[in-house]
Amino acid sequence: MASAEKTVEEVRIRDVDLEAVLDPAEADGVYRDSRECAALAVVSGGGSALLSPPTPRPKKG
Amino acid sequence: MKQSGTSALLQGAVQDLASGVASALRGGGHPSREPLDAPLRPTGDLDLAAARVLGADLLLPGVLDHTPPPGARELDLARRAFDAYPPPATAAPTVAWSHWALGRALHRVTGPSGTAPAPGRVPEPGPEPDASWLTGAPWPSLTHHLAVLAPLALPVEDCALTRVARGRTLDVARGFVRAVRRRDWYQAAGAGRWLTVLPDVPHTLGLPGGLDFVELMGGGDSRVLLQVRAARLIGSGVTV
Amino acid sequence: MTAADVRRTATADARETAAVDKGPAAPPDVRRTVRAVQEAALGWLSRNRAHFALGDDALARDGRVDGSWKPLGELAQVCATLSVRTPASDPLHACVRDLLAFAWRQTGEGALFLEVQRAEPFATYPLEVYAAFASAGLRHPGYERAAATVAATRGWRLTEQLPTRRLGVLCAERQIGLRRDDNEPELLARTWLGGLPEPWTFERASGYALTHVVFHLTDWGRGGPGLPPALADHLAHWVPAWLVTCLEGGLWDLACEVAAVAAGVPAAGTDATFEAELAGAWARIAAVQFASGALPEEDGRFAAEVPREETVPRRDGAPASGESGFRLCYHSTLMAAFAAGLTLARWDDPRGAQPPSSPAPGAHHGGMPLTHRARRDAPVGTRTPHRTTGGTG
Repeated sequence: MASAEKTVEEVRIRDVDLEAVLDPAEADGVYRDSRECAALAVVSGGGSALLSPPTPRPKKG
Repeated sequence: MKQSGTSALLQGAVQDLASGVASALRGGGHPSREPLDAPLRPTGDLDLAAARVLGADLLLPGVLDHTPPPGARELDLARRAFDAYPPPATAAPTVAWSHWALGRALHRVTGPSGTAPAPGRVPEPGPEPDASWLTGAPWPSLTHHLAVLAPLALPVEDCALTRVARGRTLDVARGFVRAVRRRDWYQAAGAGRWLTVLPDVPHTLGLPGGLDFVELMGGGDSRVLLQVRAARLIGSGVTV
Repeated sequence: MTAADVRRTATADARETAAVDKGPAAPPDVRRTVRAVQEAALGWLSRNRAHFALGDDALARDGRVDGSWKPLGELAQVCATLSVRTPASDPLHACVRDLLAFAWRQTGEGALFLEVQRAEPFATYPLEVYAAFASAGLRHPGYERAAATVAATRGWRLTEQLPTRRLGVLCAERQIGLRRDDNEPELLARTWLGGLPEPWTFERASGYALTHVVFHLTDWGRGGPGLPPALADHLAHWVPAWLVTCLEGGLWDLACEVAAVAAGVPAAGTDATFEAELAGAWARIAAVQFASGALPEEDGRFAAEVPREETVPRRDGAPASGESGFRLCYHSTLMAAFAAGLTLARWDDPRGAQPPSSPAPGAHHGGMPLTHRARRDAPVGTRTPHRTTGGTG
């Protein structure tokens, strides 16, 4: 590292609030849940379900 | 997480140091990956600040048995960081405790049974900071602070902080669950390490699998990796 | 009595008091918060009850059951439990009885169940909805005879279902006195909760699975066979973490369900953190409940459509304006009322999670082992000690 850069870096480090780094606030939680992919069970284009039973269609009356 | 340029530089330096320690904990060789007799390269403020942030864990391989002793560079860094950043009287308890923990580690590795190569024993650090602020802390806050102070999670460590933690195993276990659900891998790893030194952890927690999961999800962060590896070593019964 | 006897008695009394104090209790202001949430939720549900009315499509071949029978059944279920867990002198008792009577009228006082059964004899949802009414004493003997005939077939018993759903059907059958020799322990062990999962694998879907397992085992907070000890221990340990992350993640509907589960965990197995977390949940739930009394289901999910102020149909049974808003919050609002009622009941009863009456022979609560329970304990393995030593190593 060139000495000029080094100097800049050291000046900057003095500016860092080290106490804040040593006593950090808790990170925000990330909430995202796993999903199931319904598409895996569907024949593409056909519209009918591959792995689920067909819906029965009772006759009227 | 938003970081200023300087803080990003510092975090990068901490990551570098943590990566060396994590590698040493796996038996990956000397923490700084430099030969012991290599001349010390000059350390700047960045190195010192990074050493202060990583704290006592910089010397962890020397504290735990069966891991390589700290190199001259680590020891020098740790000593100078300890001297350069004494906690001000108004410091937050975690700041005071992490400083005390660094002093404790220096005392350990430079003691008669210590593993440090450099001569000169570092005396015991001053009196323990106050730990009463954690006694009644809500369990999420307790876990967060303990994770920040994970370097103190060592077998046979006995100080006011570990005594508080030992009385609240279930709360720390719940904190681990919450941290994983929040995807806060650093907190989860630190809490996981504490649980390896706490009594009566419910076996239904599934801690070994939990540590694997934390490594899988957050192990790209060297500080997370360091805590997971430390937890596994301590959990496997390694002594100080 | 000697002085020493007096001292011994006093010590024993103090210990007993301490044991009770360690269990459920809540500061008066927390109690008031829970009560306010419940009153507001029940107020909204009462004013919007016309949205629960069964329309013409309830019997239609292409009718959407999830938009007709399901909400009505959920209303009946929640009100059936609250009517048992609320003292008769409480105005809210009259409120939930009114709602229950309204819902029962929607079914033609049970007659509609017969009609649905004729159309779909092997559907399980009519029985499950009917069971909610039956548990509150609203019964239709004709439908029960018909249901018993179908339920006696091997085909009915072999209906392929996920374990959690199957437990729901068994719970419904129990309500109307149908018994079957199903392997419930094995069934329970195959549910997420019954298998004692690592608690850090909790997510939204597993959360809903676990709450329903508990609802089925406890007959929706009224008693039932109850929780096997290992399962009760698991809940006592990990519910605080699950509850708080639901709240932090803005999953209000699931948070209410988990709070309802928490309220039913035997108090003797819980600790200060557990009780504090259950109490603390209510301030957060109260903070997101709208002025109308409705509770949003989840943060950010169609939030704009949820009726913040009020959605009142023009008249009973009128085509519902704000129907989509209703669909987005009726369930969470029901669950808020449900969980609040169970939480208050936990605090009112020094024994904690015990319903006031014994619902069925063979049922047990809070550590009274009976024959049926012993059989149920099997699925989750041997009794889990509260804590074991050793951590990972």
